[in-house]
Amino acid sequence: MIPTVSAGPLAPHDFGPAGWSPADAAHLLRRAQYGASALDINRAHKAGPLATLERLCVPQPEEPQFERESALLRQTALDTGSTTNLQAWWLHRMLHSANPLVEKMTFLWHNLFATSNDKVKDAALMLAQNDLFRAQALGDYARLLHQIARDPAMLIWLDGNANRRRHPNENFAREVMELFSLGVGNYTEKDIQEAARCFTGWHMRDGEFWFNDIQHDTGSKTVLGSTGKFDGDAVIDICLNQPACPRFIAIRLLKTFVIPEPDSKTIQAVADSITKNKFILRPVLRELLASRLFFSPQTRAAIIKSPLDLVLGTQRALVSAPKLEPTAKCLDDLGQALFMPPTVKGWEGGRLWISSTTYLLRANFATEISTQPKYGPLIDLDAQSSQHQLDTPAQAVDHYARLLLAAELDAKLKTRLVSLASSADSPGNRDRGLLHLLLALPEYQLM
Amino acid sequence: MAGNRRIFLTRCGTAGVASVGVSMPGIWRSAVNAAGLLGMPNTKGRVLVVVEMAGGNDGLNTVIPFADDTYYKARPVLAVPKDRVLKLNSAVALHPKLGDLRTLFDDSQVAVIQGVGYPKPDRSHFRSMDIWHTARPESVDLRDGWLGRALERDPKALAGGVPALALGSEKLPLALLSGRVNVPNVQSMDAYKLLPGPGDQSAQARAKQTLREVVALKATEAGGELDFLRRTADVTLTSVDRLGEVAKAYKSGATYPETGLARKLQVVARLIAGDMGTQIFYVSLGGFDTHSRQQPVHELLLAELSGAIAAFLKDLKSHKLADRVMVATFSEFGRRVDENGSLGTDHGAASQMFCIGPGVKPGVTGAHPSLTDLVDGDLKHHTDFRQVYAALLQNWLGYPAEPVLGKGFQPVDCVKG
Repeated sequence: MIPTVSAGPLAPHDFGPAGWSPADAAHLLRRAQYGASALDINRAHKAGPLATLERLCVPQPEEPQFERESALLRQTALDTGSTTNLQAWWLHRMLHSANPLVEKMTFLWHNLFATSNDKVKDAALMLAQNDLFRAQALGDYARLLHQIARDPAMLIWLDGNANRRRHPNENFAREVMELFSLGVGNYTEKDIQEAARCFTGWHMRDGEFWFNDIQHDTGSKTVLGSTGKFDGDAVIDICLNQPACPRFIAIRLLKTFVIPEPDSKTIQAVADSITKNKFILRPVLRELLASRLFFSPQTRAAIIKSPLDLVLGTQRALVSAPKLEPTAKCLDDLGQALFMPPTVKGWEGGRLWISSTTYLLRANFATEISTQPKYGPLIDLDAQSSQHQLDTPAQAVDHYARLLLAAELDAKLKTRLVSLASSADSPGNRDRGLLHLLLALPEYQLM
Repeated sequence: MAGNRRIFLTRCGTAGVASVGVSMPGIWRSAVNAAGLLGMPNTKGRVLVVVEMAGGNDGLNTVIPFADDTYYKARPVLAVPKDRVLKLNSAVALHPKLGDLRTLFDDSQVAVIQGVGYPKPDRSHFRSMDIWHTARPESVDLRDGWLGRALERDPKALAGGVPALALGSEKLPLALLSGRVNVPNVQSMDAYKLLPGPGDQSAQARAKQTLREVVALKATEAGGELDFLRRTADVTLTSVDRLGEVAKAYKSGATYPETGLARKLQVVARLIAGDMGTQIFYVSLGGFDTHSRQQPVHELLLAELSGAIAAFLKDLKSHKLADRVMVATFSEFGRRVDENGSLGTDHGAASQMFCIGPGVKPGVTGAHPSLTDLVDGDLKHHTDFRQVYAALLQNWLGYPAEPVLGKGFQPVDCVKG
């Protein structure tokens, strides 16, 4: 037997004779973390694709200073109970953790199991839920789904205590199928009613999960074709065994990391990988982020940046010490307040991020970054200019376009940028003006 | 091409009717013609203002079937007593908090369309709202909305400018979404400003000009993400300038109540008076999801609706613009006939829509749905919401309804001939 070589979309990408380029490194970093600095790109380029992926996927030790700062921000959030302080704690991790992909996956779970502190109103429970997401960030989705059904913040969010034997409340049962594991079209209203019975008595007491057996319906139920005296865990196992489940997670991974509208074949390939790896996501992501599909031309500059990608990515590239609270406020204005998803559907993302109101805010963010230290001080442009020998306007345009834009610079666009840069009265103003315009471009909204 | 994107509005004196001429490059116009897209352009300067009542308005406590005892039996606590309702005819009445609407009704400016809904009603807010926005109950295709598709039939809208505008929302309502026409949404007029870039005034002007030019560049892949972003950026920059201009001259001709909806409609009046050529405005009033302790909340919301619309029409009348404007209201569903155990009502199905303005064919259209012949405890619809949309598109704005809504939706008779 000749061993079959995988030729599908998940086959490892061959970088060819040109090799792994700085643009390839930047592509991987912009997707697997919140943006990339010139230093990040340079380091990843030197390290090569395998070592870079290894660093992203395998747990890295955190700096002691990072741990101290994070602990302090966490304690502040617990002491004040304020959502802004919760956000500051998490933004600090997203910006400074040595495990940026873990933070990105933690956000993926927050968006999938979207729970809002607007209703939970308890910073400690929101933190505990966030810890759960982080613990399984690249870990076991199946385990996470079982855990989230017992998570106190979730029990408050989806009215667990209202789910009683004689009066089943369908809220959690509906979302576990519609939004957490299967997606619309893969279950019936009857399945939801029956599943709700299985979760009766899954209550919360004193901030902890409590199985209230008096309120649990012990009768026989039929869910998605199976019949038995099921409880909540049985329903979750039934969901996990549906073919729709790995596909559902595959779509989420593809939309977050690879391409906004994946085709059915690609979805199935990733779903098969998820099934093969028994819902452990580390090997799935590693395969995906090294794949032919991931590095193909169609996936470059294909995703509209979320506010997190935009704001944190800009800061990572251009701001030396980002200020957390103004950043949290800016993300709120742009429609992505952490711990406060708009609904249980989370942030739908893609084109819905962009409207004329949010476009204006994004353009104004570009102005603020380039003119004020509101979100933290801008990197030293003069030092950049001499370090990278940005002697002519064209060199400056090329340098900053490579740093900031995911796509190759279009010739017509370049002409206009060079013309603008040439009209500046000093090199400092030239680069400041150039950054402002690059950040306000439609092209900059893509990654 | 951006430089040619101008819409010239010429006022013809009488009754504020405007005729609209379009300037666009000849090559491009013939391309539009060849694609068969030229429908019936809105030549009368008419404006549609959609008011979304988000959360599922309790239609039974809005237009009240006061002559039917079943209503009083189903709602021992929440029913409005017979002696307090504002009667429209021998069968139905308006809620007492809709006094301003009743005055407009007496002035022949209100069409009440009863029993509106769609087949197999969905009781999820998300799904039902999507259905009303897309006008596609049978599909989960959320790529565009009914008003967005209508605008695609209009060369003026395709040429740019501000053909429609959503006010007060962070996201563009799905109803206005289109793959080809970009509609601006203005969350707050005060915040709808472009900050000047770095440098002195001339550097700022150069940056803005460069941005205007580069967002108007044609993307390689039509319909792709970059194309979408450029079109949005373009309409954003255009609308910022236009809104900045029209905001100045206007003087209100009415005293508006101090409510959120009134503030939004006042801005709409200002923009209509400023004559930007905008045909469709979209505003939302939320809070109608009254599962518990419904009465005080619902009364406030109805008063807000009624007071804001009345002030808006009065203002427009003082500017001799009211004849050009029609307001249409909808909610994603009505509520159950029976009140629930927590002094509220749960998600239901069929309900009514209001069309308001001098251009309506006034009166109560269609019978109130039976309170005893129900589906799963909910009112049955006899009029599809797309029949009302068809009337608004075809008989009011002058767009062909069939390409937008599909076949078989006979327009409801709610617009004057």
